Amino acid sequence: MKKIMQTRRQVLQTLAFTGIAGAAVGKFPGMAYAADGGTLKIQFERELDSLDPGYFVGGSPPNDVNWAIMPALVLYSRDGGWTPSPHVESVVARDSTHIDFTLRKGMMWSNGFGEVTTEDVAYTYDREAVSEWKGDFVAYDHVEIKDKYSGTIVLNQPFAPFMNTTLASGTGIIICKKAVEAAGGKFTIEQPATCGPYMVTEYRQGQVLKLRPNPDWNGAKPAYANIDCLFVTEPSAAALAFEAGELDIAKISSEAYARYLKESPANSALTVAGALQYMWMGMNTDHPKLKDIRVRQAIQHAVDAASVVQGAYAGTAEQSYGVVCPGLVGRREKTGYSYDPSKAKALLDEAGVSGLKLTLRTLNNQERMLSAQIIQANLAAIGITVEIIPLDSGPFWNMGQESKGDTWKELELWIMRYGSGPDPYEPFQWFVKDQVGVWNWERWSSDEFEDLFAKGVAETDSEKRKEIYFRMQEIMEETGAYVFLTHEPEVFIHKSSLSPHFAPSGEMIVGAFNKV
Amino acid sequence: MWSYLSKRILLSVMIVFLAILALFITLHSIPGDPVSIALGPRATPEIQAEYAARMHLDKPLYHQFAIFIGNVARGDLGKDLFSNRSVLLILSEQLPFTIILAITAIGWSALIGIPLGCLSAVKPNSIVDRITGILSVGTIAIPSFLVSIWAILIFSVGLKWLPVIGAGEPGDIGDQIYHLILPAFAVGLGWVGYLARMVRASMLEVMSENYIRSAHAFGLKRRTIIFRYALKVAILPTITLIGVGFGALLSGTVFAEIIFSRPGIGKIIYNMVLARNFPVIQGAVLITIGMYVVVTLISDLLVSLLDPRVRDTL
Repeated sequence: MKKIMQTRRQVLQTLAFTGIAGAAVGKFPGMAYAADGGTLKIQFERELDSLDPGYFVGGSPPNDVNWAIMPALVLYSRDGGWTPSPHVESVVARDSTHIDFTLRKGMMWSNGFGEVTTEDVAYTYDREAVSEWKGDFVAYDHVEIKDKYSGTIVLNQPFAPFMNTTLASGTGIIICKKAVEAAGGKFTIEQPATCGPYMVTEYRQGQVLKLRPNPDWNGAKPAYANIDCLFVTEPSAAALAFEAGELDIAKISSEAYARYLKESPANSALTVAGALQYMWMGMNTDHPKLKDIRVRQAIQHAVDAASVVQGAYAGTAEQSYGVVCPGLVGRREKTGYSYDPSKAKALLDEAGVSGLKLTLRTLNNQERMLSAQIIQANLAAIGITVEIIPLDSGPFWNMGQESKGDTWKELELWIMRYGSGPDPYEPFQWFVKDQVGVWNWERWSSDEFEDLFAKGVAETDSEKRKEIYFRMQEIMEETGAYVFLTHEPEVFIHKSSLSPHFAPSGEMIVGAFNKV
Repeated sequence: MWSYLSKRILLSVMIVFLAILALFITLHSIPGDPVSIALGPRATPEIQAEYAARMHLDKPLYHQFAIFIGNVARGDLGKDLFSNRSVLLILSEQLPFTIILAITAIGWSALIGIPLGCLSAVKPNSIVDRITGILSVGTIAIPSFLVSIWAILIFSVGLKWLPVIGAGEPGDIGDQIYHLILPAFAVGLGWVGYLARMVRASMLEVMSENYIRSAHAFGLKRRTIIFRYALKVAILPTITLIGVGFGALLSGTVFAEIIFSRPGIGKIIYNMVLARNFPVIQGAVLITIGMYVVVTLISDLLVSLLDPRVRDTL
């Protein structure tokens, strides 16, 4: 029997012949798939909202685009640290509060706004320090301008994470003073002036953003001249588009990650860009049902975090032992409590508690709901009845904040996930005394914790910082208010011929992509 | 006819007004503080206050509704919360993609479904009728997102004949048609079944009417009876169904738009709900309601033109 094989073109010609394709006869340029042409096709998982580093939502895609078209002093290196950007001759930390930098000469802004100068750097960071992202610039004081190309960033206190969490991050890009002022001081999806290896030549909302070589760029040429950024918001669709050859790189879900670990498409590779998310189950230490620390400790011993990793994340997430994420200084390898239902029961008996009924609030998405159900089963095993309350993100993010109503008084248990930057100080900032009733929904405070937080920020010795952050996580778990659950990875599937480069928070730095 | 037309238009305006009221109440009933939902937790109190004033959230609800109606009447649907682009501009970029997808999907399903329904009705209980029945129920029962995924797996991932994502290059009709084939197939498949069942039922009813029997008695050709006399009447409920179906597809193409990463009204509503971008959601839903009412109005007018008795029913 003859096997019938038709090419794409033959099929389309047949369609055209039968009239289905009508006017399209002999004209199907869309067949230039990613794999066939010279254009790299990457996925953006979210619509572009704003590129203004002071007022954007952040994350991907704004950071991916800005890093491709805008100057910066430093960029994330492949080892997770930082490296001077192509826009500078040098960046050197002179001491704990002074960072000297020298810009390369002849780096020209687009639209005739002249050279990138020290004045642009000073303008940018002064603006950031009073913007919505001023939290990233808490240690920034001012820029001393030496000349057109050289200056010094002066910090108001020693701040070890400044390079990684501020300068290399998405809020560290430099904007053009003259252009932004000419635009009225603010802008959204179009940078008033750019200066990077790429320029945006076309943007169609919900469809594509095209990056093409910047003809005025006099730095090193990136490996890929043309990049089409396709907006594919659904992870399953992105995975299918990758399999169909229409994307060269796509972010995938935990479910797809588990599937591809068993069998991935030909000529593909998986890259974990980072796991800077930390998820835990929190307990309200002020709630009458949970005021007794033995009850909270019983819950810590009753929940099997390993089952959550397997059951809700198909084994693709890393188990969490604290708030410091994998790869960062201070990441722990175990918790002070362990999964031990009999010990949990004993603690409940000791506290004289029986027939306890609790509510567990969670965001209404697949992984969280599965996690909640596993925890519900774990707690049922020690006689605690849990009612799961799934919530939309609006009410969920308000429920522990005193300024947003009274729900914080009723909070008992909840599943929470925060994102971290590439420095261990970041997660701890949400649990200090000032954050009680803001983001510290567990509602505890500790003088020792406050002291250690201040020391950790100022300390530059890695070993000493590690000890500080170990102790801070011990203090957190000793409150009994935390059951640490997972660190979810940011995973990408890509052509094996591509060597991608990511920020620790998972955004793509396309200018540093390489061909293998 | 003019009386019917004016009554029908008045009714449509009332429907739009009530829909706007319902939309307004729904959006304001969402739990949580609308400012912090819209701006997120990072916004400073000054930015929150500025936003509340700009969106008139600091005014009483009836005042907000009056402003909203006034703005809608002037064609001002507000601005995107993040990009500051005009909502009307954003929607005008997206709407053509949804309309084209809906027309193509309904179009091809009508081209297949109506003849299938006729065929079944002309030969009731025959093998053709039974096969058509099974196929119709089958296509109705399969959800369009499942059809989309299977179509992608077969035609894009497996055979690599058709593209998965996008709507094609602007100005390139061939490329746009090429990107339209799979989504239109996925969206329209269920409508083949609906239309076939509807036409079959209507035709069977009409074929048993006295005037059809008379036509047979006068010795008219079977083909003439079916196409000139029976189908003309039997098609009326189908026109209404197509009108309602087209209206439903304006927002119902959301699965196809997401799975195939096509721009469109459904996708933009979905994305903006995730981003809590209320001005765009409000505008998109409003446009959808307006389009739905207009399409239903057109189909009703069409039916009244074909069947004058309908004009007396309003």
